[in-house]
Amino acid sequence: MTLHELTASSRRLAFVGLAKNTGKTEALAALLRELQAAGLRVGVTSVGRDGEQRDVIDPRIEKPRVTLSSGSLLATTDELLRASGIAHELLEDPGVRTPLGRVQIARLLGAGAIEVAGPSAAADVRAVSDAMLAHGAGQVLIDGAIDRRAASSPHVSDALVISTGAVLDRDIDEVVRHTRDAVELVRLPLDEAGGEQLALPPRFALTADGEQIANLLDAHPTAVRLLVAGALPERFLLSLLRPAARRGRELTLIVADPTRVFLASRGPEWFRGHGIHLRARERIGLRAIAVNPLAPRSHRFDSARLRGLLEAAIPAVPVLDVLHADYE
Amino acid sequence: MHEVDLAAVRPYADHLDDGLVQMSFTLPVPYSLAARRAALELAGAMGFAEPEVVHYEQLTEGYTYFVMYGRCTQTVDFAALQGEGFDIEYMSEDEIERFARERLGRGVVVVGASTGSDTHSVGIDAMLNLKGYHGHHGLEGYRCFQTYNLGSQVPNSVLLARAIEVGADAILVSQTVTQQNLHVHNLTELVEMVEAEGMRGRMILACGGPRVSNELAKELGYDAGFSKGTEPQHLATFLVRELAARVSAPS
Repeated sequence: MTLHELTASSRRLAFVGLAKNTGKTEALAALLRELQAAGLRVGVTSVGRDGEQRDVIDPRIEKPRVTLSSGSLLATTDELLRASGIAHELLEDPGVRTPLGRVQIARLLGAGAIEVAGPSAAADVRAVSDAMLAHGAGQVLIDGAIDRRAASSPHVSDALVISTGAVLDRDIDEVVRHTRDAVELVRLPLDEAGGEQLALPPRFALTADGEQIANLLDAHPTAVRLLVAGALPERFLLSLLRPAARRGRELTLIVADPTRVFLASRGPEWFRGHGIHLRARERIGLRAIAVNPLAPRSHRFDSARLRGLLEAAIPAVPVLDVLHADYE
Repeated sequence: MHEVDLAAVRPYADHLDDGLVQMSFTLPVPYSLAARRAALELAGAMGFAEPEVVHYEQLTEGYTYFVMYGRCTQTVDFAALQGEGFDIEYMSEDEIERFARERLGRGVVVVGASTGSDTHSVGIDAMLNLKGYHGHHGLEGYRCFQTYNLGSQVPNSVLLARAIEVGADAILVSQTVTQQNLHVHNLTELVEMVEAEGMRGRMILACGGPRVSNELAKELGYDAGFSKGTEPQHLATFLVRELAARVSAPS
């Protein structure tokens, strides 16, 4: 199946990478080609910057260009629109400033390669996406940046394509493990269990240490479901392990959606094994995993092997390499 | 005297358009005539016309240091680059105080730290502390700023909690960005946590470090990036102007 077939039902589609150079923009460019071949009108924005010629951190790495057809809609800065040399019609100024200039929503009157740098903040990304849909885009593609995930929140987008690749590790098994953990987080189950629920005080999950957590657990001896209003960092989960285990408490932590959880070294499965369950109130629709078997200026895995390992470790999500001969 | 052609600019040394460049580098080869020839050949391969070794010496056993001249034959179209990005005109300290008083009418709360495992606090200290940098005192010395410098190796979650607690208008983080993903991840994680706390629309996020450009800041999700050469009043100008823009046009 092609990306287009897998994502056609999603009006706002986010592309998120697990790290820099995992091939987000290649996946987006492949989908753009498919949409253009099907004659569909698309809208494009980026939470970072897309279509630049060289990597912003390592200038030895060349980046894929973003080529749009006439009639495409996009959100990018006024300077980048001007620099593209492509004729365009300005549709709306959403009032968003970025370090690269002021964002405009425009319709291209010609085809060509262009740098896309739309709003960074999630609420602004949603606003420009909706504006492009209102101006006639059939689907809006939202490209991520580096490893930022906020655009995949259900408050911003309807579905997600994740990018992963060799750049995560020299060891192919580590790439698979890391990807499996990240996908498990994206697909957190919905909160459906019963039991006494406790809303954590504001910012408690950001700062509480083991002692404060122990006091809270003792003050609410029968609470089994802890509601986290904002961010849930791994530091908090690690600090929770000992007080929970000492009291023989199995706990479920509930967040608004998976983008609120910040794991670094361990996945949801590991915490489950230690009696800490993660749940979300809203789901993210993961449509596909795009892989880049090449780590720029480092190493390369066999694409089919990497895809095979990922498919075996992660059930029920198509795994694609859009640059491989057997794609489509 | 003739005019500079802004569409085809090249380096200036003795006279306009001579293209003369001075460069220095070290080759990992023993100090010798062959080393000198290697340097000339390398400069030629770099595209320099008439390369010349003006000085070379042994750096240490097996290494030779060169100072060279060469004529650059390339030009750059400066005219096409003008107006890219945002060139802001910086205000003086007095102008910043007056701007804050007249346009904001209240103090500006700024929380700064070096995050994650980064032990370098030089950048954040230069921007925030009274002592400042380059003869310009830091934001702490302004009447219009209330600053909190949390120091180095501060976890993102702790920085964010403190920022919310004191009602910060801006968070300033300093990070030495390398080609390793870790530092970059530290910077993106803060942005994502601010989003997760629902505070992104209410805080200005700025990052600084030796390799931080506006292009990188955009990728990372920050409102501005500051690098080498930034003085406290540059940061201060950005903060009061950006805050004023947000007050007049809430998004």
